[in-house]
Amino acid sequence: MSASYEQRITLAGDLHARPAGALAVAAGRFAAVISVSAGDHTADAKSVLGVMGLGATSGQHLTVKASGTDAREAVAALIAILSEATKVGG
Amino acid sequence: MSTSTVGIVLVSHSAELAAGAAYLAAQVSGGTVTIIAAGGTDEGDLGTSAAKVADGLLRADQGAGVVVLPDLGSAVLTVKAVLEDHIGKGTVLLADAPFVEGAVAATVTAAAGGDVKAVAAAAEEARHVRKL
Repeated sequence: MSASYEQRITLAGDLHARPAGALAVAAGRFAAVISVSAGDHTADAKSVLGVMGLGATSGQHLTVKASGTDAREAVAALIAILSEATKVGG
Repeated sequence: MSTSTVGIVLVSHSAELAAGAAYLAAQVSGGTVTIIAAGGTDEGDLGTSAAKVADGLLRADQGAGVVVLPDLGSAVLTVKAVLEDHIGKGTVLLADAPFVEGAVAATVTAAAGGDVKAVAAAAEEARHVRKL
């Protein structure tokens, strides 16, 4: 059973290399197709270079969207990483 | 599903460049992937070493195969020469990719559990990702 989910988050810090890496590593473990959007830009959440290329900064709204069998879990996991990892920077 | 991750070998003319790229890739990917820096000649000069590459392939292989990223021209020749003698010792793919971006993308995909083809593909896709 395939489904789509999305959730928005306001970044507590800039989306630097290490949080972007943590996001892409986590995304890659899900079967779902997952995207991260910031403003007009959208990246494949499994592509660390794409996520870094968003240049997302503190205070910006990000939307995580996923579709596929594990879409709900994927969105929950990535939102959790975004809320934690951007606090420490890096 | 294999429990081991794909290993990465970074072959640069510069030992410092290979080590720095390995450090960066490890930091971004969370430190769970075996990344071997094979930079410089056996004497420590600028250049590449077949012995360092061959040793790197053996150390990087955790059972799921290895992806090798060369930096410039003759690094490719060195890797190809080593691979001719490496047949039958586990899957090794040579990635045609930008060195730093490819190393980071490959390592992140390996950390996520990607197989050797997915890891090499992630490195090669780095060519198409714009920075600006």
